[in-house]
Amino acid sequence: MRMKNLELRIENSKSYLPICNSKFLIFICVLCVCSICQAAGLEGMEKSVVMIRGAGQEFDFVTPWKPKAIVQGVGSGFIVGDNKILTNAHNVSNNKYIELQKEGVAKRYLAKVAFIGHDCDLALLAVEDKSFFDDTKSLELAELPGVNTAVETYGFPMGGRRISVTKGIVSRIQVDTYSHTGADSHLVIQTDAAINPGNSGGPVIQDGKVVGVAFQGLRQADNIGYMIPTTVIRHFLADINDGKYDGFGSLGVMLYPGLHNPAYKDYLNVPSDQQGIVVIETIMHSSVESILKPGDVLTQIDQYAIDNDGRVEIYGLKLDMSEVVETKQIGQTVELAYYRDGKPMKATATVALNRPVLEFARQYDIAPRYVCFAGFVFVPATRNYLETWGPEWGKDMPFYLRYLFRNSMQLNTDRERKEYVVLSEIMPDEINAYAEEFKSQVVASINGTTIEGFEDVWKAFDKPSEGFYTIMFMGVDRPLVLDAKEAHTRQTAILEKYDIPQQTRLEGQQ
Amino acid sequence: MTGISARAGEEQTREAMKGSIVYLEISSYGYDQIRPWKNTDVQQRGGVGCATGAYQVITPAWNLIDAKLIKAKVSGQNEYIPVKIKTIDYEIDLALLELEPNTMKKPLKPVRFADKFQRGDKLNYYWLNPVGEMTTGQGYLDRAELQHSTVSYASFLNMIVTNTSQETATGQVFCDGTTPIGISCWSEDDSKTGLIPAGIINSFLAKANDANYPGVPAVGFAAEALLDPAMRTYLKMPATMKNGVQVTNVYNIGTGSESLKAGDVILSIDGKELDAYGKFLHPAYDRILFHHLITSHKIGDDIVFDIWRDGGKQQLRVQAKNFDVGEMLVPYYEYGHQPEYVVTGGFVFQKLTRSYLANWGKDWDGKVTPHLLYYLRDMAFKPTVQRKEIVILSYCLPAQINLGYTDLSQLVVGKFNGMPISRISDIVKAQKLNPGAKYDVVEFELDNPTVVIPRQQLPQADAMLATSYGIRKLVNVNP
Repeated sequence: MRMKNLELRIENSKSYLPICNSKFLIFICVLCVCSICQAAGLEGMEKSVVMIRGAGQEFDFVTPWKPKAIVQGVGSGFIVGDNKILTNAHNVSNNKYIELQKEGVAKRYLAKVAFIGHDCDLALLAVEDKSFFDDTKSLELAELPGVNTAVETYGFPMGGRRISVTKGIVSRIQVDTYSHTGADSHLVIQTDAAINPGNSGGPVIQDGKVVGVAFQGLRQADNIGYMIPTTVIRHFLADINDGKYDGFGSLGVMLYPGLHNPAYKDYLNVPSDQQGIVVIETIMHSSVESILKPGDVLTQIDQYAIDNDGRVEIYGLKLDMSEVVETKQIGQTVELAYYRDGKPMKATATVALNRPVLEFARQYDIAPRYVCFAGFVFVPATRNYLETWGPEWGKDMPFYLRYLFRNSMQLNTDRERKEYVVLSEIMPDEINAYAEEFKSQVVASINGTTIEGFEDVWKAFDKPSEGFYTIMFMGVDRPLVLDAKEAHTRQTAILEKYDIPQQTRLEGQQ
Repeated sequence: MTGISARAGEEQTREAMKGSIVYLEISSYGYDQIRPWKNTDVQQRGGVGCATGAYQVITPAWNLIDAKLIKAKVSGQNEYIPVKIKTIDYEIDLALLELEPNTMKKPLKPVRFADKFQRGDKLNYYWLNPVGEMTTGQGYLDRAELQHSTVSYASFLNMIVTNTSQETATGQVFCDGTTPIGISCWSEDDSKTGLIPAGIINSFLAKANDANYPGVPAVGFAAEALLDPAMRTYLKMPATMKNGVQVTNVYNIGTGSESLKAGDVILSIDGKELDAYGKFLHPAYDRILFHHLITSHKIGDDIVFDIWRDGGKQQLRVQAKNFDVGEMLVPYYEYGHQPEYVVTGGFVFQKLTRSYLANWGKDWDGKVTPHLLYYLRDMAFKPTVQRKEIVILSYCLPAQINLGYTDLSQLVVGKFNGMPISRISDIVKAQKLNPGAKYDVVEFELDNPTVVIPRQQLPQADAMLATSYGIRKLVNVNP
């Protein structure tokens, strides 16, 4: 088994270190000297905070039928509500096995994921053996803490195997990127209380109540650790009330803080004393697509006035207006006030997922879909696939994928498009011996039918065809042509030769 | 020739070359692509010129990019000789220079280049060092092949010399025995050197003294190897027909752009059969790419293409054409003159060129904004009547007038005051539109904010910007 390497992830010029302790395992042998009573000074937290050991297996996004290496890690979690354990999603993503350990108790308990929210890096675990909850204490959630107030973090960070506590203060509260998906932004609380690999998923406590879940740190900086605030935790817990997790939604609008410029404000016919934020474009299929237009100026969302930076005053803080949307579940609405051509207008917008056709967020727990036909492996273009280009994938991936990753929302005018599909690999065979130039290109059409989603690829090849399959790729001048009869003839032999268990894995299959 | 007499011949050549080869000292002073109103630092480079006339020498063009002052040193004379560029052609990387006769003690001895290609021959090469001493090196003639010019979009025939005794890329004269066969134009360390061969040099010299040097034909399409038997069957080509290269993209400019179609298979050019890689059998150089058959023509010549189209053979007569690099939608280069730009209200508008994008340094194509790279990669040779250049907002020089817009950069301009922008000079025209309007209004491609510039404040703001950012000229556009 391989140990999970501490991974450096680059997001918006910052390097986040997901703080899942993997080095811990190599210290186990030397650090097994136990003292029985270390509980004094822990304020009873040893009854609430647990160690989580996970074994997971990542997916191969280029040749998805192949399992990848198994990775192990150690993190923290704590008991909330009705005998559930809250932790970070990244502690238990792609998991095959989860084991819990209580402070000072030798017995190990098996756990499973009850709910997981990758977009907010939270997961709720369930334990079958109810004796686990003997002599444990559930923690309560507090409100947002004040800046410059004291907090304590509890967990099982690297450097030992007993519960650890560190102290610090709340340094700032702002909206920032969650590195687990690399794309979702929510409120975060920054603290200087030491947060190290292994602290992930552990509680941050103030006055005996949880003010956050420790989840990521900033490398190349001293004492900058982040926690997920209770506003996000509550959203997650409310979301799963109906038995499934839907995620955080958005309005589906692109905004620009342009009203700092008085000429732009005047040009847009907005009163000079009015603040607000300019609509640049709406996202296809969003509820505001038929409501807002470029050049509209949003001035209010629910009861919150929007300033020229696009911020509102909420929780006694000035935060991005998305924070108002974050208080809503998918399907709930917000009231918008805006100016159009000098006229004040009002509208109701529904919060929805509004994901881009080329997904920005890293995905987990879903076996990637593929079609392998005539040795050509087709996969959906996702961030996971793009990241196979290595640490500098943003620079190293092929041009058209980079173009779509950056601009798919502008370049895609096809309302039926669900995603883009890439020819990820060619399993060498005589039928595909001349096709290398098409590898890593994005499929535009097969036999003249536009490929608007992954299922279209399988449908195109599943149809018996006389003559040729003609596959066009985006930004590639000539087609890939494939003798249809020959391709079907070679199919079984190729699958056997490369030990490919099935020719396709569609939605939801494992 | 015996070993002894060969050595004597080399010695004679070396002595003879003293009267033919000059050392060139080139001072270049280019423009900053990102701040096009200012020059880059002065750079000094050395080069080699080879006499083709009493007072004329040739040298590779790349070494003269942005040259501001060129001076020559000849053997046996201490004083520098002023040099002027007579003709320069970046596509074949050659320049003809004129030395000031009055400053020379004696005329140069012209060298006659000859087509001699004997694979494996040991070559000697000659140059004059900065103190005017004749210096020599050696290498082996390995092959002839088409190479992409290091400074242009074009490919042209090079002879490749291996195991050269040192790096040599600045016009050193290569001789096979006593016969000069080419000058060096690129090199990879001391292992490999590219020569501009005699054939290209002599064709260039035949026209380089004309009042209007016509240049060499440019290829107006892209072609890819046609190896896949399935594609050949798909194109209904007979199984016995194994030759031909596939046209994959036809440009709007250059030879063949008006008559070829994407999907055509070029079977032969001027009766020379092309193989599936697009190479033809050259009597001396073995297999080389078809581009040579086009570029070795004169402008205006008819070139005969035998092609496979719509399931049958056809013959096209195509006129050899070229284009000025400025005609490209995204020019490959802008050497020797100031890049065009407009600074208004602190917004820096520029014409998109490859030289501009190359400023992003190593691996620049992975770093630049993909929408800009799209125009270079897919549209560079496709100007239209409606769109002759790509105009971008490069960035914004922060000032009161552009408050709130200062982070905008790398955006493609769509319209200025409602006028579609086809070239950078259109901005100047568009600024005069809507005389009663309070604002200049700039719209961009993809989803971006509209830039609004208050006209009343503009003269004062521009004056202030020019002073505070040190911009002597806010507008530089060609009419």
